[in-house]
Amino acid sequence: MKTIKYLSYIVLCTFVLSLASCEPSAIKEDKLFLQEEDLAQLLADENAAYGGEYKIYTINEFLKEFMTEEGNYLSDTTPYRTRTTRDNIFYLYTVDTIKTDTVGIYIRGRVSTDDYAGNFYKAMVIQQMVDGKQQNLRISVDMGSVGGLYQMGQEIIIRCNGLSVGRYANQPQLCVPSYNNNIYAINNTQKVGWCPGRIPSARFRKAVRLIGQPDPSKLHYDEYTLEQLFNVIPRKINYDGSTEAQKREFMEQVRLADGSLVRIKRVSFTGYTNNDGSIDKCIYFEPSPTYKSDSAALANVFAPTTNNIGYPQSRILCDALQQFTPGNTNQLSLCCSSSEYSKFANYFIPGAEPDFANAVAFCSYYSGTVTGILGWYCDNATHTKKGLAALSGMEWSVTPRGIPGIGVEDIVMKSEYGDVWKPKEFDPQEYFEKKNNQ
Amino acid sequence: MKQFLSLMFALTVSLAAMAQTSLKGRVIDEATQTPVVGAKVTLANQNISTTTNSSGEFSLLYLEAMDEEVVIEADGYVAALELINLQDNQVNEMDAVSLQQNIVAQAQDEILLNLTEEEMNDDEGRSQAQASSSSASTDVFNSLTSFGWSTARYRNRGYLSNAENYYIEGLNFNSQERGNFNYSAMGGLNDASRYKEVLNPMEATNFSFGGLAQSTNYLMGASRYAQGWKVGAAGTNRNYKARVNATYASGVMPNGWAVIAQLAYRFSPYIDQKGIIGEGIKYYSLGYFLSAEKQWDNARLKLITFGAPTERGQNAAVTQEVYDLVGTKYYNPYWGYQNGHVRNSRIVKSYDPTFIASYEYKIDEKQKFKVAAGYHYSMYSNSALNFYNAPDPRPDYYRNMPSFLWDGQIANPNGNEGFSQFQLYDDNNKVYPWGLFIGNTFGNGMPGTSLGSGFIGEDGKVIGPSIDQDQYNTLVSLWKKRDNKTTQIDWDAIYAANYANNANNPTGSARYILERRHNDIQEAMASFNYVNTQYDHLKMTLGVEGKFSQGIHYKTIDDFLGANQWIDIDAFADRDIKELASNSGFTQDDISHVRQNEVANGYNDTIRSTHRHFGYDYRINMGNMKVWFQNEWTFNEVDFHYALQLNYSSMQRITSMVNGRALYLTQVANPADEWKYFGHHAYYSQIQPKVNEAEHTNTLKPGTSYAGEAHHFFDPSFKLGATYKINGRNRLKVNILAETRAPYARDAYISQRVHDRVVENIYTHDNAKNLKDFYAASEKIASADLTYEFNYPIVRGRITGFFTRSWNGTELNGYYDDEARTFVNQAITGVGKQYMGLEAAAAVKMGTYLTLTGALSLGDYHYTTNPTAVSSAENGMPMTINSNNELVFETVDKVMLKGIKLSTGPQLNASLKLSFFHPKMWFADITVNYHDWSYLSVAPSRRMQGLYSGKRLDGTDVNGWFGDSFANAIETTDGKAASTETDKNGNTLFSWRTRGGEAEYVPASSPENEGNIVVDKNGVPKLKYPYNIMTMQESLAATNPLNRFIIDASVGKLIYLPKRQSVSINLSVSNITNNTHFKTGGYQQARLPRAVRQGQEDYKNSVITANAWKYPSKYYYAWGVNFFLSVTYKF
Repeated sequence: MKTIKYLSYIVLCTFVLSLASCEPSAIKEDKLFLQEEDLAQLLADENAAYGGEYKIYTINEFLKEFMTEEGNYLSDTTPYRTRTTRDNIFYLYTVDTIKTDTVGIYIRGRVSTDDYAGNFYKAMVIQQMVDGKQQNLRISVDMGSVGGLYQMGQEIIIRCNGLSVGRYANQPQLCVPSYNNNIYAINNTQKVGWCPGRIPSARFRKAVRLIGQPDPSKLHYDEYTLEQLFNVIPRKINYDGSTEAQKREFMEQVRLADGSLVRIKRVSFTGYTNNDGSIDKCIYFEPSPTYKSDSAALANVFAPTTNNIGYPQSRILCDALQQFTPGNTNQLSLCCSSSEYSKFANYFIPGAEPDFANAVAFCSYYSGTVTGILGWYCDNATHTKKGLAALSGMEWSVTPRGIPGIGVEDIVMKSEYGDVWKPKEFDPQEYFEKKNNQ
Repeated sequence: MKQFLSLMFALTVSLAAMAQTSLKGRVIDEATQTPVVGAKVTLANQNISTTTNSSGEFSLLYLEAMDEEVVIEADGYVAALELINLQDNQVNEMDAVSLQQNIVAQAQDEILLNLTEEEMNDDEGRSQAQASSSSASTDVFNSLTSFGWSTARYRNRGYLSNAENYYIEGLNFNSQERGNFNYSAMGGLNDASRYKEVLNPMEATNFSFGGLAQSTNYLMGASRYAQGWKVGAAGTNRNYKARVNATYASGVMPNGWAVIAQLAYRFSPYIDQKGIIGEGIKYYSLGYFLSAEKQWDNARLKLITFGAPTERGQNAAVTQEVYDLVGTKYYNPYWGYQNGHVRNSRIVKSYDPTFIASYEYKIDEKQKFKVAAGYHYSMYSNSALNFYNAPDPRPDYYRNMPSFLWDGQIANPNGNEGFSQFQLYDDNNKVYPWGLFIGNTFGNGMPGTSLGSGFIGEDGKVIGPSIDQDQYNTLVSLWKKRDNKTTQIDWDAIYAANYANNANNPTGSARYILERRHNDIQEAMASFNYVNTQYDHLKMTLGVEGKFSQGIHYKTIDDFLGANQWIDIDAFADRDIKELASNSGFTQDDISHVRQNEVANGYNDTIRSTHRHFGYDYRINMGNMKVWFQNEWTFNEVDFHYALQLNYSSMQRITSMVNGRALYLTQVANPADEWKYFGHHAYYSQIQPKVNEAEHTNTLKPGTSYAGEAHHFFDPSFKLGATYKINGRNRLKVNILAETRAPYARDAYISQRVHDRVVENIYTHDNAKNLKDFYAASEKIASADLTYEFNYPIVRGRITGFFTRSWNGTELNGYYDDEARTFVNQAITGVGKQYMGLEAAAAVKMGTYLTLTGALSLGDYHYTTNPTAVSSAENGMPMTINSNNELVFETVDKVMLKGIKLSTGPQLNASLKLSFFHPKMWFADITVNYHDWSYLSVAPSRRMQGLYSGKRLDGTDVNGWFGDSFANAIETTDGKAASTETDKNGNTLFSWRTRGGEAEYVPASSPENEGNIVVDKNGVPKLKYPYNIMTMQESLAATNPLNRFIIDASVGKLIYLPKRQSVSINLSVSNITNNTHFKTGGYQQARLPRAVRQGQEDYKNSVITANAWKYPSKYYYAWGVNFFLSVTYKF
């Protein structure tokens, strides 16, 4: 009996002790997403060392004040350090470091990008509406799949003290100073020097807070035809015939437009790439036994594989009412840019072989609307060799995306003539059947 | 064969003889006066031994009359030595021998179990190294080394744990899938594991054939335990903090029954920052042990069950950079704060309910048999974060570390193409290969670098991290300050990502989940053991063992972490979907299947339940049958034994889920040889003809299992041993073993979660047309040892030399390959190893109270061959193209492993132990251990021949190699670039440029090549700094020799109370000098740093970069000072 009693005590004790094993409870949503009404107090607390002082800048204010593009980064003689490249390439890239020991410097905006949806790798764009107009800023973060933590439509506020703002070519971005050693370049050492670099992941996560839950429907886009678009954004400049002030003004306008979320109407794909149709970097495995690149097949795919090397690919859009002529720099056109990691990378682009002989039928079938983010992608070599005078307008690119909540569910392009103009995926079997029948 | 059998029979009959002298006695516990059951009683001079029965009695028959030393040894007791004069033709009776409890050893046994359990930390219990086996108290060497050297992860003779045989009551408990023994099954049950037989390698055993390494048989019969209660409590600073336990044993009752029951509970709350074996560790374990035994005159029946449901947190090996940044060797990246509490993402849950029944029957005085049957269900699972389209949550992910900011900045040191040459130096101006990324030290000593001017050297080249110093230091500071969101898992960010995803895409897949990977195994086993001693001088043993095991593997979701659901798609296939589309000729519908983990279940891949299996769900059925016999001959001067075992085993994979990638692979990987890759199984044969039809999945039925091909193996083993008794105190022993051993299932299947494909030599075996083919898959092993034993009243010990060689071993690796840019499986066959060494130990009695014991183990364990590796991309992508522009789905290459040391613990070990024992039951000891010659586990992927020669064994070109024009990393005496090729036999050739002024290719190791290519003693070209860092095998020995010492001590007291009650107290302190510089293990990461050169973004133009620190090695460190204090009350 005594034995049974002892045993009972032991079993009871071990049972009670075993209850101690449990995981912490789930984190509630309200602890993770800052509420608007709590923001002021939180920022004041965060800047207690400066008497609770802080300032939330608009994006344009922020760029104007902190992206000075003056001085020399290495001299470290001014609070806001700026440096052109070591080779002193005018306007290639600059970096200004924002003071750390000062009142809180904040910007806020809503994320308009998703790296899975397009050509944004370790970067995102935030949009801020000021007086009904878009202001946008790129943020360069050293974090793969950054859109997983900062999702499209998510409003964020960033404490910028200690970070930097600079521009790569003419794209402003929140960043850190990075030295491009360019050690894997073959011949071109022009890019060696300080440039805007990705903010280390840990550093960025310390600086950013989420305000409310993501709501893509609050993102704003401007809708244009190509002609209308180029009426509001700069396209090219006569470099030799322009004054220094005019050049700066041109670049300023480019910067203001970069990152804008736009919808472009009545466009069609020309079947050309930004390299006039030559896709010499694509890799394609035709079914065994042959191995070769097949540029012709891949020109009609948004972003065929680069075997994970990862460079973006561009397909030229033009106004559907115009016949595109390669090399015609006066023609209104725009690159549609994507990376092989985007979810639509393997989609077959529509209208690859437009029938210009029958323009009306073509427009009703092939023309459509592209929604995406504008970007100014200016090649360094082009910049140096030819100067801005040679810019054809092809430096503008749109990175297409779907935005749930504003009626764009996929990357989709809607025809203004009523037909849904949805690209279909590239089907190699169909392609080879067609090819074999030729 | 006939002649051999005839000879054995003749020997058996002719040597039989009879004698009359005998010895009887009884062994009791000094404290409780209760019988000691299972004590081993040995006559030292005649080398005859027996064990005590349930009454503590023993008898030895047919002895020679002489002065004899009787050695009495029992688990948990201090060994005793009695002298007796054996009278001829008499029954000699001894007085009862009282044994004193060895509470120090008891505590050490428990710590050992604890330690070995902790070692089973990585996925699927695949430990890189495990502590030595449970202690063998009777052997001087083993008794000192099994505990003392466990801290250093010493492995007996350098063998992996799967070489050791573990039995419980005669039933084999080595996993058929991995070969290891699961200690956690007996976690905390110190009474269950108290009694055991431990036999040295290749020695004659009673319970099994034995083998290459030690064999242990746990004996759990209830009659061994003295009647009474025992309750205990213990405190420690190891993976658990406290233990309480209670044991009740009935002793043998008048009705012949004996019962023992034990409950043990071990627990630990979370540890925030100061865990001695790793931070963020939690531990809960409730063990039970129940054994009942019924005795009759000639028979006994044992019924045993035990188990220990355990939940424990894991910790990880990390890079030296991480250790240096956080300033502690106990950093654990697996945990983070959730609602203010520590949460570990890696929680192991294990429970091994085990049932054993055994029946022993004594046919007559000279014949007995034992049958046993058992069932064991090992439930083992561990949790891990999984993520999709979201950042990697691991805080120590290489891209999150300061060192990653150097990537792209470390220029080629050869200075080609105008880039700067530099080396990194430490403060003493020596080349600084490790840990250079920490804090403010990065600029020190770098030529031409001035911190005041940033990172620009005098030559205008950058030699620093890619971001500016302030930012770099900020990141370093976050690590040094142990910022929780930087250095630990950010549970807030994980939950926020899922909540945001719910808002944006309520039907989309979770960004993060906590998944649970189940690796269960259920086993049913039986054994039969027959012993016959009817012929004088001969003991014959026959054994039959049968075992059926089923490995059960699947995933479930532990926690959705706030998400609505998880979409179960194959992340690799999804990422590479374009390649799949391009390669296969599949329709779009087929491609949508390819990205699914479960094709047979249609599109129902949305997981909302924590119970549903996902990802993979398969079983591996394994059968095994062994028949063995052993003859042991005993004579005056010579004893010898020989034994033969025939071993049949089989394995077959059966899956309940059909992975889309596997489906795809049947199409692309040479359909003509489809069976070769995936076996003749039902589902592929159903799918194959329809693979191009959109409706092919209709042939797959949800809930149906599909069986793969069964693989069969037949392996013989033979061993032979002899003892020459020089005199009563000195003897020589020799043992020899030759055997083949089938691969374990985990090494046989190339990617068992995805498909059935087995490694190449098993395929050869399955098509065996002759005996040679049939054995193709099995590893071949030959081993021998020679021992000199001495046993004097003052000193006893032994010296053993051993030599073992193995051929045709199989190993399997998986890693992310930056050349193929995907996850690659690498099956390595033809692995050869050599183990050679010396073991020596002696115990010297120094007066009444002190004993000095010393042990030395000197070994050389290394690879002897350059095996062949077959590499294939898990997602089915082609690896490369050949000279005919044909796609190559598998590359074949040599691995330059010859001469590389095995990473199975230190190969030089020494100990000196001073033990104190006072008759008033005080115990104390102090042990000084020295460990050296331990090596990092090398990554075969970094030592492929193609990396040194530019060409693989199969003739395909390597996409970027050490000798190419970019790296120019192969060392030559004239400084010119090496030019290499391979000959038709796959041997690496190097150009010998001085002969006639023209290039002539000669083997690397050829004397003619001297003066050009610098090769090591194994013919592998030497690499220049810093490339040599990527391939070198690092020594793990501490730089400062003083840090190679570990000092342990313990003290104990046994207090006798009235009415046979007692209290024992024991304190054991390990590593009392808190040596935190002692690396116990580690591994080289398989990835090589590669980059694609700007302007050459082409499939074939990646290069190996000079950033040798990009994927650094990861290490384990020895625990710091740690203690175990236990108090036990018996009543």
